[in-house]
Amino acid sequence: MSQINPFEIVRKQVDKCARILKLDPDVTEVLKNPMRELHLSLPVRMDNGSTKLFKGYRVQYNDAKGPTKGGIRFHPDETIDTVRALAAWMTWKCALLDLPLGGGKGGIICNPKELSEGELERLSRAYARAVYQFIGPERDVPAPDVYTTPQIMAWIMDEYSAIAGKSQFGVITGKPLALGGSKGRGDATAKGGMYCIREAAKKLKIDLSKATIAVQGYGNAGYYAAKLAKEMFGSKIVAVCDSQGGCFCKSGIDADEAQKIKTKTTSVCNLKTGDKIDSEEILELDVDILIPSAMENVITEKNAPKIKAKIIAELANGPCTPEADDILYKKGVHVIPDFLCNAGGVTVSYFEMVQNFNMYYWTEAEVYERLDTKMTTAYHSVWDTHKDYKINMRQAAYVRAVERVVEAMRLRGWV
Amino acid sequence: MAADINSGIKDLDSLLQGYQPGDNIVWQIDNLDDYAFFAEKFAGEALDKKKQCIYFRFASHPRILPDQPGITTVNIDPAPGFDFFSSEVHNIIRDCDRDASLIFDNLSSLVTTWATDELLANFFMVTCPYIFELGPVAYFALTRGKHLHTAVARIRDTTQILIDVFHVKNSMYIHPIKVWKRYSSQMFLPHLVSETGWEPVSISGEAAVLSSTALKQPLGTSVASGAPWEVIFDRLQKYRNIEQQPGAYTPEIASLKHELIRMMIGDHPSFNKLADEYFTIDDLINARNRLIGSGRIGGKAAGMLLSRRILLADKGPIDFAKVLEAHDSFYIGSDVFFTFLVKNDLFQLRMQLTRDSSMSHEEFEQVERRFLAGEFPPEIMSQFRDMLDYFGQAPIIVRSSSLLEDRFGNAFAGKYRSEFCANQGGPEQRMNAFLQAVKLVYASAINPDALSYRHKQGLGENDEQMAILVQRVSGMPYKQFFFPPLAGVAFSRNLYAWTNRIDPNRGMIRLVFGLGTHAVNRVGGDYTRIVAVSDPQLRPEAGTKIIKYSQHNVDVLDLSADDFRSETVAELLVDCDYPNLNLVTSLVTDGYPQEMIRSCPQGRSDDLVLTFNNFINRTPFIKIMDDMLKRLEAAYGQPVDTEFTAHIDPEGGVKINLLQCRSLRLPGTAGRVEFPEHISDEQILFTSNRFISGGALHNIRYILYIDPDKYAGIESIDVKKSIGRTVGRINRHPSVIEGGIIMMGPGRWGSSNINLGVNVGYSDIDSTSVLVEMAREERGHVPEVSYGTHFFQDLVESGIMYLPVYPSDPESKFNESFFESAPNVLPDIMPELAESSSLIHLIDVRQKSNGLYAHILADPTVHRAICFLDITCA
Repeated sequence: MSQINPFEIVRKQVDKCARILKLDPDVTEVLKNPMRELHLSLPVRMDNGSTKLFKGYRVQYNDAKGPTKGGIRFHPDETIDTVRALAAWMTWKCALLDLPLGGGKGGIICNPKELSEGELERLSRAYARAVYQFIGPERDVPAPDVYTTPQIMAWIMDEYSAIAGKSQFGVITGKPLALGGSKGRGDATAKGGMYCIREAAKKLKIDLSKATIAVQGYGNAGYYAAKLAKEMFGSKIVAVCDSQGGCFCKSGIDADEAQKIKTKTTSVCNLKTGDKIDSEEILELDVDILIPSAMENVITEKNAPKIKAKIIAELANGPCTPEADDILYKKGVHVIPDFLCNAGGVTVSYFEMVQNFNMYYWTEAEVYERLDTKMTTAYHSVWDTHKDYKINMRQAAYVRAVERVVEAMRLRGWV
Repeated sequence: MAADINSGIKDLDSLLQGYQPGDNIVWQIDNLDDYAFFAEKFAGEALDKKKQCIYFRFASHPRILPDQPGITTVNIDPAPGFDFFSSEVHNIIRDCDRDASLIFDNLSSLVTTWATDELLANFFMVTCPYIFELGPVAYFALTRGKHLHTAVARIRDTTQILIDVFHVKNSMYIHPIKVWKRYSSQMFLPHLVSETGWEPVSISGEAAVLSSTALKQPLGTSVASGAPWEVIFDRLQKYRNIEQQPGAYTPEIASLKHELIRMMIGDHPSFNKLADEYFTIDDLINARNRLIGSGRIGGKAAGMLLSRRILLADKGPIDFAKVLEAHDSFYIGSDVFFTFLVKNDLFQLRMQLTRDSSMSHEEFEQVERRFLAGEFPPEIMSQFRDMLDYFGQAPIIVRSSSLLEDRFGNAFAGKYRSEFCANQGGPEQRMNAFLQAVKLVYASAINPDALSYRHKQGLGENDEQMAILVQRVSGMPYKQFFFPPLAGVAFSRNLYAWTNRIDPNRGMIRLVFGLGTHAVNRVGGDYTRIVAVSDPQLRPEAGTKIIKYSQHNVDVLDLSADDFRSETVAELLVDCDYPNLNLVTSLVTDGYPQEMIRSCPQGRSDDLVLTFNNFINRTPFIKIMDDMLKRLEAAYGQPVDTEFTAHIDPEGGVKINLLQCRSLRLPGTAGRVEFPEHISDEQILFTSNRFISGGALHNIRYILYIDPDKYAGIESIDVKKSIGRTVGRINRHPSVIEGGIIMMGPGRWGSSNINLGVNVGYSDIDSTSVLVEMAREERGHVPEVSYGTHFFQDLVESGIMYLPVYPSDPESKFNESFFESAPNVLPDIMPELAESSSLIHLIDVRQKSNGLYAHILADPTVHRAICFLDITCA
């Protein structure tokens, strides 16, 4: 099965931004290539006494704006091009939020389903040893990603600290709360999305206290989105769904009740209230705000014309196909693009770094307050760019981010 | 009222809710001191309250009560006979105070004088109602095991209160058998008598040891007959204690034993060989002592007994004498089934239905109603009562144990019923629930699924008799619920090797919290912990997925509702105080499950996830199961499938209760598969040599084939999505269901990422016999197929064979030309789907290959599977 190389997509996106920003081809070329890559071979002693060699990567895509930041993935299908692409996207995401960080990513080709807890720990520590010279609180700060957990972050921090001979909490984020993690991380993504929705509603003059919302996907992000929309704005959640189907209820759905049903029966489609709907129908409901929070490519050229929502807040990664994006833009649907809408997570990761540096930890309220400032500022910068360049919000986000990276490179004298 | 009449023992009053005027209390004892203990307290209470206390002295045994002021001793000589003695006693009762306390010598002594149990029972039956009528409270004693069952039964039926007293390991226990018009949820459990407060024995393992030690012959037996069964049994009794090693029996004893095994278990040569080898005479006599009625004990019971004996007999790393929990099961002999059929005019009906299996489920409901209206003969009812008295209020399960079931070659998994009895309420209520359970199990012998299975297995006309295994439900009470902390099924081969690290020749365990029904049944949308014995720390999920694919609901018995139900983990464990919670659950912290190194913080039950991590990693459980499965497979000579419960003792040790063991030879599982020697290349459609499930499937008519290249070439997401829906419609087409279908397409089927495979749900593929995931190697990387996903688990659980095929693997074969040249019959069969035929290729194998069918043989032990064309195969 042929699959599109994600790094090729990144390079095309850079080209598109470069055309809009009228960038010099030399600058574009810098943006289209990672600055540093580390390819690793990690020998790990397995439980049965054998030694297995794992391949790993760490890519620092661009550190013009500061130390690189990005997750570590443990995945059997990991490829260097995937890591490169994800490192580039981290660069743009951090720049968009105007964090003093560049973008990076790492990964190990492994299947955690085939590793015992002890092997997983030895692998994580082996990775920490191998990248020791390459990462650091002021160089490159990894974080959890696919199949990596706060526990793995703790092991890596511990191994790094042991080599350094001192506690180095700031070397990695996404650590357990008890070991230098930040409060507010659990619902950071949804919270960040809510701040964007609030600002978008202001722009579009939508009264959120009267707004109706449909949430597609009811995992962690979807649940928090439903809960926070009600708590923060008094909006009415009229529809929720997951992969097994969902429920539409004009009088409103209680987010916690839906979560309880999902835990008990594995799906919100078993909610007793309202009418049953499938996970595709929910996208076409007549609501003010649609929050896709689960899967990629759910809004396509086929259903995009039928979308009735005024705002689509992309909590999930890539819920709209490029074809759908164009249709929605022409229809006047306001799309809050994924890498803005779900940037709450990386922003709180950055806050964790700051707290680690200062050895002083914030309350949840302080985290939310600062997150609000960051997300609100970022939203408006994208809005302005979208107006200035007359481009859709997604393109505007890329343009704004690339613009900032280019500015940093220029000031450093790289270009 | 009741509060005024006390026993002199606070705990006893609390247990029995005090005495009522006219109560007769019969103490069934092994030694007189026990009776004296209770009688002295009762007399002391009477003296304190300044009540009249009369001691009826008629036996030759020492005095029960001291000769002291306030106690009136009345000496009556029983020698003149029943009539005189009874009249004297009645005269004294007539003249005593209405609130007097009456204490009698041990009634058993009367038999020495009168030489008959009958007169003893008669005395009680005339005296007890008289006391009841007048109002005093009376104490009587009976020595256990000294009297005919019929006499004791009459006394039991007449008295208001009957209490067993016994000693185990220097401790005294009392077990109320009958308490008229009083009830509490723990009244009928055995209680440990101690000075610091009486404790009910409610943990199943302890109760089983206690009751089986104290009551060696819990069932009253009918009058001895000269039937061969009884003759052999009596002859073997003589040899019971002479030799315990089966191999060392003399030819005469061995022959008698063999005959008894044949009578109790049946005529299966392989099974009987094992039974001969492992069962001791003592085992058989113990089983006989717990057999209600006569006849065979059935396959399930025999498998349970044999497997336990194998573990106790053979030597290995684990000492199973220290690990196996005692069982105290009863068996309802297969003759009782026939008696029930004949007595209730159901025999003809059964014969007729066995010949013709076309009964609908609705028709079966009518049959079931006829069974429920049936009755048992009085002697069986009497033994049922004995058994229920023995169990008291301990929950029991009534399990089918038919002669064909659970034996070599025929699993009948889930075809016959098992019924839980929470066993709460008074004796009548408990009896009614038990009778209903037995009748439902009997009716299930002719349910449509079972009959159909029997016909498919060629067993239609075979002699199928339904014996029943009555087991104490393994577990302990928690709040109003009763359940075991751990239960599950364990296979000696791994059917679910999601990575090649896992050794398929070692076992697999499906572990649950609560009753094992959750592991045995297919639980839609909920999951069990799957443990590979070779690599117990591995699991098919990682990260946050562990939370999603964990067990969320727990099967329990609700003692307050006298019912079986499911509770969510969060609700059941809301108080976070379940013993050893940190061994079975992890706590979601920072969004991920973490092991608890201390007890669960209050208010965090929503964050508990059943991972069993500490139980697997920090207790000897896996070592025990590994050894158990190896030993059973070695003894059986083939893979085995077991059901078990597990408990953690206060020292962190693990106890296993082996509930069932049978040979594992189901289609689609890990049994040895014979591959034909000569299959030509033209016959082969594909082969697979990676991780596969096993079995043999024959005569498959259709193949649904989605070409991976064509699929990859589809650009539109909507078109890709529509393929999944089309597959679902084909899956439900009657011709496809009837003819059988293999579905082949790019892996991973059922993935949430549509680019990774065909977007289907379980219901879209549930008619398929085999699901083939095709993975093409690209740029040195082979994409992962569905191993370990919940979707794969669905396949395993529903018996759908799963095969990954790697067409570009030089060691595999893939007959591309067959698939390319076969006509697509989709437009013919389902014209409405014609437009999908460019992407979905439906092959009628019979049409394409001139009457041949597709056959699949797969053996995971050698990592070999082959799909080939051949004529139909029976």
